[in-house]
Amino acid sequence: MLRVVVPVKDEILRAAERRKAAGVGEDITQFLAELINLGFEYRLQRLYRRFEAGEISLGYFANELGLGVRDLYAALEQQGLPTSNIGARPSIAGS
Amino acid sequence: MLTVVFDAGPLITACKFESQGKLVIDHLLPECCIMISSSVEEEVAVLGAGYPDGVVAGERIVRGVIHAEPVTARKWARHLADYTLGDGEKDSIALCGQVEEVEALVTDDYLAFVAATRLGLKAWMLPDLVLELAERGSLTTEVAEAILKVIHPRYRVGVIEHSLVQLQEVKQDVKSRSTG
Repeated sequence: MLRVVVPVKDEILRAAERRKAAGVGEDITQFLAELINLGFEYRLQRLYRRFEAGEISLGYFANELGLGVRDLYAALEQQGLPTSNIGARPSIAGS
Repeated sequence: MLTVVFDAGPLITACKFESQGKLVIDHLLPECCIMISSSVEEEVAVLGAGYPDGVVAGERIVRGVIHAEPVTARKWARHLADYTLGDGEKDSIALCGQVEEVEALVTDDYLAFVAATRLGLKAWMLPDLVLELAERGSLTTEVAEAILKVIHPRYRVGVIEHSLVQLQEVKQDVKSRSTG
């Protein structure tokens, strides 16, 4: 796996250290890696909502996320999401 | 022969899904001339070369059956400037304005569809192209139906259902022509 150096906010680092000290968390690196993955997923979901609403195109979406269009197509397909944003929007559970 | 410009999304879908033992793109290619911009080639066949459909697209581009064209005239650059479109979508629209014989832009993207339509272009989704070829008798209604069903997961609710109803109408026309 690729290793990179990233600046981390003090409070995030303190949270990771407290979790480790309290025995609730795993290794600090693993915790930070998980946060990065969650951040990426959050960004994907936010952009998908804009795509879904027709505010941005698939190509723009890919560009904003830093993926190629084909990789984005694969990511959406993997999550069972349509790659076209024309037609009825999927109904939200409970609505 | 019908000439259309494909955006990246429909190109990936057509190169990925198979119907009746044949890739959708290979059902379409004998019946229409498919053009793509160089940026769509890059998105699908170069950056997408790690995917089987990227290889499928690349092979057909090399063989010259999918025509990849650089965009040399951007007559709508200012019109498109503030739309949140990617390069592939902008170039696909520009290619439609550059090549005279283009019948339609094939895109599954809402914003590209709207921008192209507002520029006076004909915009089709991939299912619309399948239906058009069935109407022209270039695809049998059975093949068209099988294609529509296999690409269904890539679309939102309503799109394929709409095309299947239209296809039933085409079937009725074919039937009444053959009996009349």
